[in-house]
Amino acid sequence: MEERREIQSEDRAGIRVNALRKTFQPAGVVACDDVDLDIASGELLVLLGPSGCGKTTTLRCIAGLEKPDNEDAITVCGRNLRGVAPKDRNLAFVFQTTALFPHLNVRRNISFGLDMKKSLGREEIARRVERAAGLLKIDQLLERYPGELSGGQGQRVALGRAMVMEPDAFLLDEPFASLDAKLRVEMRTEIKLIQRQLHTTMIFVTHDQEEALTIGDKIAVMNEGVVQQFDTPHNIYHRPANLFVATFIGSPPINLFTCRVEERGDQVYLVSSLFEAAVPQAYREALRKTGDELKLGLRPEFISIGGVAGHIAGGVELIELMGSRSQVLVDCKGEEIRVQVQGDHNIREGEKVQLSLDLEHGFFFGPDELSLL
Amino acid sequence: MLDPQERKLVILFLLPTSLFMLLLLWLPFIQGIWMSFHMWPFMGEPQWRGLDNYGKFLRADYFWDAIKATAIYCLSTFFQLLVALAAALVMNQPFIPFKSLWRGIMIVSYAMPPVVVGAIWLFLLDPGLGMVPHYLMQFGLMDEPIYWFSDGVWARWIITFVATWTFWPFMFLIILSSLQSIPREYYEVAEMYGANILQRFMVVTLPRIKTAILIVVILRLAFNLAKIEQPFTLTGGGPGYDTSVLSILMYRFAFMSGDFGMAFTVGLFLVAFTAILLLPFGWLYQRSMRRHSL
Amino acid sequence: MAQNYTRVGAFQKIISFAVLGLVLALILIPYAYIIATAFKEPGEVFETRWVPEKISLQAWTDVFEIFAFHQFLFNSLIAGLGSALLAVLISLPGAYIFARKKFRFRETFFYLIVGTLVFPFILLIVPLTIIWIKVGLFNTFLGLWLAFQIFAVPYCVWILRGFFAQLSPHLEEAAMVYGCTQFQAFYKVMVPLAKPVVISVLFLSFLYGWSDFLFSNMLTTGGGPQTASVAIYIATAGGERIEWEMLAVMTLIAGVPPVAVYMLAQKYLSQTFATAV
Repeated sequence: MEERREIQSEDRAGIRVNALRKTFQPAGVVACDDVDLDIASGELLVLLGPSGCGKTTTLRCIAGLEKPDNEDAITVCGRNLRGVAPKDRNLAFVFQTTALFPHLNVRRNISFGLDMKKSLGREEIARRVERAAGLLKIDQLLERYPGELSGGQGQRVALGRAMVMEPDAFLLDEPFASLDAKLRVEMRTEIKLIQRQLHTTMIFVTHDQEEALTIGDKIAVMNEGVVQQFDTPHNIYHRPANLFVATFIGSPPINLFTCRVEERGDQVYLVSSLFEAAVPQAYREALRKTGDELKLGLRPEFISIGGVAGHIAGGVELIELMGSRSQVLVDCKGEEIRVQVQGDHNIREGEKVQLSLDLEHGFFFGPDELSLL
Repeated sequence: MLDPQERKLVILFLLPTSLFMLLLLWLPFIQGIWMSFHMWPFMGEPQWRGLDNYGKFLRADYFWDAIKATAIYCLSTFFQLLVALAAALVMNQPFIPFKSLWRGIMIVSYAMPPVVVGAIWLFLLDPGLGMVPHYLMQFGLMDEPIYWFSDGVWARWIITFVATWTFWPFMFLIILSSLQSIPREYYEVAEMYGANILQRFMVVTLPRIKTAILIVVILRLAFNLAKIEQPFTLTGGGPGYDTSVLSILMYRFAFMSGDFGMAFTVGLFLVAFTAILLLPFGWLYQRSMRRHSL
Repeated sequence: MAQNYTRVGAFQKIISFAVLGLVLALILIPYAYIIATAFKEPGEVFETRWVPEKISLQAWTDVFEIFAFHQFLFNSLIAGLGSALLAVLISLPGAYIFARKKFRFRETFFYLIVGTLVFPFILLIVPLTIIWIKVGLFNTFLGLWLAFQIFAVPYCVWILRGFFAQLSPHLEEAAMVYGCTQFQAFYKVMVPLAKPVVISVLFLSFLYGWSDFLFSNMLTTGGGPQTASVAIYIATAGGERIEWEMLAVMTLIAGVPPVAVYMLAQKYLSQTFATAV
């Protein structure tokens, strides 16, 4: 124990995942490939992606529940975990299904890992359980059995079971996926606060991009077993590395336009079937170098309605109120464009409108779907 | 694929189960086949007979007696199913009070050792002093007692009746728990769309308990063929060979004639009979399982 | 049509109660008569009467003093206990593996074992008798216990596997993350978890041993570990006159313990059956 503390303070690297690859036999399905992650101690990393993208497999490899093809891919606190059993990794895992032991009460469930270790005294175990239960507001439930808990309570107990271990890192596999929307938002805030308080490294797997953006210090977006972008939430949202990240992140989703680049004298123009627009000064050089075809991605909040001479003319098809804002679906020559406006607008369904594009905030993707900026 | 530690666990844990099945079931079975080619006495030296046992059994006049007795005895399974299904449907009705008491009473006959139940019916049906013939005559349903242990037709039906009386609760328990696992919503949906009681049974109940029914029919058919306690206690296989279902016949060869080779030959016919009988149900079961898993 | 969705038809009720009444009568009348008989004097057995003229306990003392029935009961008890323990020891690990681990030929292997449930195992009595004599297991409790496993093991594997298969798939993983080895995950988490089903399986295989007639009749001889079932069979088959009042007593004594066990374990057992199917 003492020794490990020392290493930890020396090596602040937290968790390193190095070119992780996992093939499932006998089908030979590659679940994740060349996954590189670097998580600083005390950081909260979110693994985000659609189902089947390899995020859970990555997490399970880190926990030792799956064996990667390259067994030396995982390093935690400077210790390579090749051949180390899950129980000896000093990592705590929280399952989507909670996986609480139905025959043990909440107290015994939380203390399960400490009871197995046998290195702690009875009082110390009780103290840690009480503290975790207090932090998670489940101190009233300690004598209950998992069958008597609600979904949210069950997940709190599972978190408690992880916390008392005082592990090097928490690994959470979609812990809130089966909770209802309101509870999920609550738990999300709470887990972030707890993580800040304990200052323990955490890897959090989710398919919910909103969840990822709100809690992550860093986000790794995955698709088809490959990390698409590993960056801060801000950059993931505002500077997507490729088309997949741009379309996967954002709600309502991003608008995409297929365009051609045309040089007209000094100016560079984007030309599509719907509009022609001059490229802003800052992007001119970057776009000029590429070939003709590219995809423009523009988030709904960067398209505005009104003005006399916008870029595109269209008819309002549908207005959806989303609290303080509204989403307007505009039909332009058969293509649907999503626009986000303030809640106190005076647009009506069926109305003819002009749309202006804020190309300063546009994303540009080449034929290889990578960002050109 | 399993990692080495997991593989070790799998092998270690499967070892006792598979070893026991191998040593207790398959090895003796193969030994038995070897024996069936012999004249094999209880004590003393076996003599090679080749396929004589098979030929002798097929030509013997008791062969058809045994097949007939076995076939009628098998009908018991379907009588059991009828009783079990009726009782389970009733016991699944919400308006029935004291359910666990009734259920407790219903499983009594199954919980008792089969020999005990056989002995009870031997007494109740005794032509001289039994309660059943006494009341049948008193109510004028019967003129004089039937000496059923010397009347092959009656003897066969009586062992079939007693088997039904004894073993239906096994089916009842499984069908009832299967009925209870049907979510209420299914019935509510069916009622919302105007299904009457019969339609609800056909559309909701029956499909959901079909697998359970197939399982109990398969198991009971097989168990009945292998159980000898009751015909043994009631008739001992007689009169003649009239109630000598295949398993009784086998017993008679082994422990009365002391011809173990012949006994196992009969046993192999029992295996064949079981297999042929179970095949269609097994096929249905597999089909319904496949549909469930999809 | 619309108004009948909460109401149970009167017809449905009448039919239901009629079926219930008929079934209960068919069960209770025979047993009631047997109970009455058990308290009759030998001479009164021949008269169909529901209340004995004089309550006699003669038969109850005779079965023990003349017939030494307690010896057979004791044999049944030992046969049942041994059978139950052995069955659980052998089948629990195997059932766990079949339910929770994936490996090649798992299905085939499983059906090879559980499929033997429908095997008419009675025919094995022929080679087993010969083998048991040869290896010295004939006429011993161990020989009986082992023979019972032919039926008990596949039955228990079937039931236990059904239970393990419906548990959350991450339980062992959780155990392993929190400090268990593969093996500890089994005996520290899964076995305690399976307690109710293990108890049911113990009950069922105990009853199987207790009630058995086939093996204990063939694999033993007089003076050996013969069970109560064998004693009752001997009482029905042997001698000139069957002592019906004694037989009634014996059937009650041998029949009541398993019934009591069933009643006590009813809740467990029906849950168990539900998971197995």
